[in-house]
Amino acid sequence: MGKLYDRLNQDIRFIEGLNGCMNCGVCTAICPAAEFYHYDPRVICDTVQSKDEKLIEALLRSETIWYCGECMSCKTRCPRNNTPGFIIMALRKLSQELGYFTDSEKGRQQFAIKRAIGENILRSGYCVNPDIVSPQMHPEQGPVWDWISRNTPEIMEKMGSNYKQEGVGGMRTIAPEVLAELNQIFEVTGCKTMFETIEKHSKHKADELGIEISDEGIGNEYFMTVFTDNNGTHNS
Amino acid sequence: MNNITQHIIIIGGGPAGLEAASSLGAAGYKVTVLEKEEQTGGKLRLWYKLFPDFRPSAEVQEYLANGQKMNSPEIITKAEVISITPEIDYQKVILADGQIFTADVVLIATGFQVFNAEKKEEYGYKIYDNVITSVDLEQQLKSGDAVKTVAGEIPQRIAFIHCVGSRDKKVGNIHCSRVCCITGVKQAIEVKEHLPKAEIFNFYMDMRMFGQNFEELYIEAQQKWGITFIRGRVSEIAENIDGTLQLKAEDTLSGRPMKMNFDLVVLLVGMVPAVGTDAIGKSAGLAFTAGNFLASNDTHFNQNETHTPGIFVTGTCREPLSVAETLTDARAATVRIISWLRDKELKSNN
Ligand SMILES: Cc1cc2nc3c(=O)[nH]c(=O)nc-3n(C[C@H](O)[C@H](O)[C@H](O)COP(=O)(O)OP(=O)(O)OC[C@H]3O[C@@H](n4cnc5c(N)ncnc54)[C@H](O)[C@@H]3O)c2cc1C
Ligand code: SF4
Ligand code: SF4
Ligand code: SF4
Repeated sequence: MGKLYDRLNQDIRFIEGLNGCMNCGVCTAICPAAEFYHYDPRVICDTVQSKDEKLIEALLRSETIWYCGECMSCKTRCPRNNTPGFIIMALRKLSQELGYFTDSEKGRQQFAIKRAIGENILRSGYCVNPDIVSPQMHPEQGPVWDWISRNTPEIMEKMGSNYKQEGVGGMRTIAPEVLAELNQIFEVTGCKTMFETIEKHSKHKADELGIEISDEGIGNEYFMTVFTDNNGTHNS
Repeated sequence: MNNITQHIIIIGGGPAGLEAASSLGAAGYKVTVLEKEEQTGGKLRLWYKLFPDFRPSAEVQEYLANGQKMNSPEIITKAEVISITPEIDYQKVILADGQIFTADVVLIATGFQVFNAEKKEEYGYKIYDNVITSVDLEQQLKSGDAVKTVAGEIPQRIAFIHCVGSRDKKVGNIHCSRVCCITGVKQAIEVKEHLPKAEIFNFYMDMRMFGQNFEELYIEAQQKWGITFIRGRVSEIAENIDGTLQLKAEDTLSGRPMKMNFDLVVLLVGMVPAVGTDAIGKSAGLAFTAGNFLASNDTHFNQNETHTPGIFVTGTCREPLSVAETLTDARAATVRIISWLRDKELKSNN
């Protein structure tokens, strides 16, 4: 398997992202995730540059690496030209590959993202579109969303989009040859392998927890569990 | 000694240039100082009291002026050098107005320039009224008036931000400017003396207290004056609706991001090489340090000689230095210049 640190070093984002952190705290001070979560990008940089395998493994299994919103604010400010957001990307990928992500509540949500956004895009060409965002699953959309979802075609027409029609414009149906191309891109870039890895480890976890899991889609207990679980410790 | 005919041109009449001029003058050499401003003295004219002992800057200027009285070098002001052309046996020094001077040796002592804090946009200098630099504060202290906010109020809470324009790849300056930490300590104490009720916070990454009595002053700032030092670099400053300032940093020792409000923020601006030094260095074929200061030909044995024979460097045009270090460096340059000139003379007599 090789050392975790060496594996991180094979990721171009990691090589780009870490050029000797001096622990100044600028990234943490600007980081929106650090404001809300128990999260400190400076500490993450310092942990990985310590090359301490135990600490890196703990990080890969932790909630911490899933708090970053990848907003890249840290990139704009770091006086050493580091990009903690890139380091997090590399850590996440390694955590996915090793299956460590299933050890944390936030990490397990990788499964929900894969099943929702990941399958949406391959099926419809959209990560997210109004048909996919159900009011029950997304209370954060507010009460208006229920009304919108019941009147989508009319509203979309009023907004000037080409909802579910062929041709050009927003909300159009994505042509089959474009979808085929998208699928191919996911194939050759390794995304599909990544999806399979997430599936494999998630199924393993679901079995371990004795929770029902399906082969695809979001209609299964494991999906709902990882989507809604909140142990309440993330901001403390 | 009276038969010495060799001529040395010193570019820059700051502490480095003036101290070298007196030493070389005392050794009997003909010296010409070319200073671009109307007056000599360099940055000393901007400072009120000097670290580490609060000696009035005027006293050091007086000391330098006395040196000139005894050994009267030729001092030409309003003489801005733009380039040097090294010839086989002498140096040609060219001024902005087209005048040309020649000499056996040129000593570059063009000093530094204060980092332009506007480049660090996220700190809001010249955007938010109550964000000032250490240079602005020095002017306020020198004027004798109380330190005030733009609205004319007594600031209750004041922040000093370390490393502004230094140790920062984003602005292209990776070097440490060395004097700003101690300047921050000195100014924090001076402000506290004026405003005993004010709360003062210094935001630093490392306290670089390298000089004699620096650490002692740092301890005094904490113990006697109650100044708080927070280890965290400031990421940004924003103005509140009432004109106070909100500052974001991480207290890295407790691992917490924080937002604090201040009435006045002082940016401890660092040093960059003076404008024009780059062009002068290039014209003379000199090398540069990573911080774009003029490089010497040896970091240990010979900090004042360059790779171009007959061209020497001293003071803050080669690296950030305090006044005391600058004066020492200027005298060291003098010794090197004298031995170089003697060698040259011996060779030409043989
Ligand atoms: C905010 C701040 C506060 C400081 N406070 C202190 C303190 O309290 N105590 C202390 O020990 N040190 C202090 N320092 C450091 C101190 O200012 C320097 O050590 C000192 O000024 C260096 O002298 P210098 O001669 O090398 O450069 P300068 O003082 O910069 O002098 C250079 C001279 O060269 C002239 N010149 C430049 N280019 C040309 C040209 N092309 N042609 C002709 N002339 C030219 C300039 O006009 C200037 O007169 C402080 C520095 C800063 C930034
Ligand atoms: S801003 Fe850069 S140098 Fe500072 S703590 Fe973050 S990663 Fe390290
Ligand atoms: S990219 Fe991540 S670590 Fe960087 S500022 Fe955004 S949320 Fe914070
Ligand atoms: S002397 Fe202090 S404030 Fe100045 S650059 Fe160095 S560490 Fe930063």
